[in-house]
Amino acid sequence: MTMAPLETINLPHLPAELPVFVALYRNVENAEFLRQQLLAGNTEYEYALIDASMVLSRTHAITAIFRAVNDYLNNRLKSRNVHSEIVFSFLAANNIADSFRKFGIADTTKDLLVVKVPVSPEITHDSVATHLEASIKGTSVKFDDQILSEISDMAKIKKVYKLGALPTPGAKQASGTPDDANRRLELSVVGAIALRGS
Amino acid sequence: MADDYQPPALPSPFTHTKPAPILLAQGAEAHVYKTVSLDPSIPAALKIRPSKPYRHPILDRKLTRQRIIQEARCLVKLVREGVKVPAVLALDWEGQGGDEAGWGGAWLMMEWIEGPVVRVVLEKWEAWMKVNRSSLDATRISQEEARVRGLIRRMGSAIAGLHKAGVVHGDLTTSNLMLRTEQVEGETLSMDGEVVLIDFGLASQSTQDEDRAVDLYVLERAIGSTHPLSEPFFEELLIGYKEGNKGATSTLRRLEDVRLRGRKRSMLG
Amino acid sequence: MIAIGMEGSANKIAIGIMSHPEDGSPPQILSNVRHTYNSPPGEGFLPKDVARHHRTWVVKMVKDAMKEARLKVADVDCICFTKGPGMGAPLQSAVMAARMMSLLWNKPLVGVNHCVGHIEMGRLITGAENPVVLYVSGGNTQVIAYSAKRYRIFGETLDIAVGNCLDRFARTLFIPNDPFPGYNIEQLAKKGKRFVELPYIVKGMDCSFSGILAAVDALAVSLGLSGEEQARLDDERIEKEQGNEEQDPDAKPTRADLCFSLQETVYAMLVEITERAMAHVGSKQVLIVGGVGSNERLQQMMGIMARDRGGSVFATDERYCIDNGVMIAQAGLEAYKTGFRTPLKESTCTQRFRTDEVFVDWRD
Repeated sequence: MTMAPLETINLPHLPAELPVFVALYRNVENAEFLRQQLLAGNTEYEYALIDASMVLSRTHAITAIFRAVNDYLNNRLKSRNVHSEIVFSFLAANNIADSFRKFGIADTTKDLLVVKVPVSPEITHDSVATHLEASIKGTSVKFDDQILSEISDMAKIKKVYKLGALPTPGAKQASGTPDDANRRLELSVVGAIALRGS
Repeated sequence: MADDYQPPALPSPFTHTKPAPILLAQGAEAHVYKTVSLDPSIPAALKIRPSKPYRHPILDRKLTRQRIIQEARCLVKLVREGVKVPAVLALDWEGQGGDEAGWGGAWLMMEWIEGPVVRVVLEKWEAWMKVNRSSLDATRISQEEARVRGLIRRMGSAIAGLHKAGVVHGDLTTSNLMLRTEQVEGETLSMDGEVVLIDFGLASQSTQDEDRAVDLYVLERAIGSTHPLSEPFFEELLIGYKEGNKGATSTLRRLEDVRLRGRKRSMLG
Repeated sequence: MIAIGMEGSANKIAIGIMSHPEDGSPPQILSNVRHTYNSPPGEGFLPKDVARHHRTWVVKMVKDAMKEARLKVADVDCICFTKGPGMGAPLQSAVMAARMMSLLWNKPLVGVNHCVGHIEMGRLITGAENPVVLYVSGGNTQVIAYSAKRYRIFGETLDIAVGNCLDRFARTLFIPNDPFPGYNIEQLAKKGKRFVELPYIVKGMDCSFSGILAAVDALAVSLGLSGEEQARLDDERIEKEQGNEEQDPDAKPTRADLCFSLQETVYAMLVEITERAMAHVGSKQVLIVGGVGSNERLQQMMGIMARDRGGSVFATDERYCIDNGVMIAQAGLEAYKTGFRTPLKESTCTQRFRTDEVFVDWRD
């Protein structure tokens, strides 16, 4: 597998000077160490570290990131910083601890989504790339739907969003195509994220 | 006076959006823009409910929040139930700059539905029929009418799905029904494609026969007043509605009552 | 052409005389007189008392109006009267007088819809050509727009009228009925600052006020603000607070605060349904008619809404927005000129008479 570079995403509607840096890793070996750094409040490791098996698609992740960054821009974070807020934004309910339990990195995490928002000028694409390379023991892969579909734990995602009644993408459909089921699940998840706290 | 009218400035974060969102419509409560979703290659509809400066700020915030959330909740629920409506992509009801002096508005970003509203499809068809009817043979006329019947029946089953999911629309007109389809330029528009319900600004969660019957009645009246040539086919709507909803019988019985009394009560002095 | 208008659908007996000059010059108001029946604070008016009041005053009002207009009986072309809607007994008193005059003077009768009277008078006074009309009074709450020879009702109250809601709350608080309760509520509301949340009930273009009245009444009772003695004590507190620059926002609300909150809530509802109708028909003009239309806060709120839509608001002062005879003469004369007459046999009145039942033959 070739190494994928750290991706810079300029989200539409957000200021150009505030892109987000995103990297996806597989076969991560030092999840426990990374989680310890978060718990210890080590600012060098201030990332949104998301268990990628809980990520359905690129759209899913970007929806949560957008919500957190928009709340950051409007000075209404519910958690400590924009990175913890990104993890929190994956959850459909108003419980920060729960969001970390369900979406945050665990000691057993093998597939990891890392997000960094350059909230101060010294945070650049290069500085983040260098630090991640030195810190994460795993294979960086492309952040796209193809790879995420291999990683996602569909049953767990449906359970967390209370969408158990929805048809499972990929399974044989009574009606509609697998694409329809996929899209319906994704849009239901996106809607749940948008409505959190309402 | 009307000439120097400017729509209100866009709220954050859409001041950053490039290219700037394009204003499509100004309703009583909301402005609807076309913009991009969180993926710059995919379009989105953006509904902005500006703060209403005529009302007390406490009341204004409460109403704006309540309503955008109610609309979004209905849409999210319907997407989950598989009813064809624009999905919610992002939402903000908190306003900006704090309770005192800030912007008390709210916004809702939705999936973009490509295609015409049913009102336009029927208007074009009726205009075309008026001109050409006399030169068409009976077979062609019945073919044409069958197209309209088919469309109206599909509208009925879309509404059945909506009601079955526990939501009433509150403002069903042919302007709030769209046909998701690739259209080719022509004298009349294609009537194929999926019927998508839009504009849930007055929607609410209800399973009452009365609310459902009023939905159907309002649409019946709207078709009667805006599409006289299509009105005779309204029965198709009820057929489609019955096909799509097993519990339709009691709603349709209530519709009879609503027709008799009208939506409004009689007026006391 | 000259018409006498006779209005008695509620607690006012009013006579007005209107002239539409033959040369096409602008219509002229020749006289506008009225006498109001007021009940004491804390009480509403009973139909039989109002009817007796109208019977007592109608002859004097007609004489005054004729004298003010400097007219002889021979100058009058028709007698216009309010056919409805309104309170039965008072309506009958006025229609009886109209019939008698018709027979006595041998003049044709023209039955007029009270709401249409308000609309035509508002259009005449303000020059608004095709506005969305908000008709708000003690008996009616409607949003109206003209279309194809009818004044169509787009929205209305589902229960009591907004004016009735205000009047009844005035009774709870022992606010005087003179000159009219809504006016006194407005004056008291100007001294209120603390906004109390009340129910807000709008359904599409319709609205409802009975739940709000029940809530604000209950609140007044629970705050110990209902009744005559409480009104006096509370007035003292309100006056004391007026001296202070800053009111304590968390202090117990006064009657002034309740009036303020009630007005803010119900007027926001009215502006909202009016705006929805404007968006629906694509109009930028609003005309406010009816007794509640003289409220300055309602006019101000409506003005802000209209301005934000790139339009404007038209309102009349209490001479014309409160029930009057001229409006009946004006609407009646418009109908009369199209050939409309009300034969004696049909010169009845009715409590229920919807605005959209009238065939508006005088407009395009």
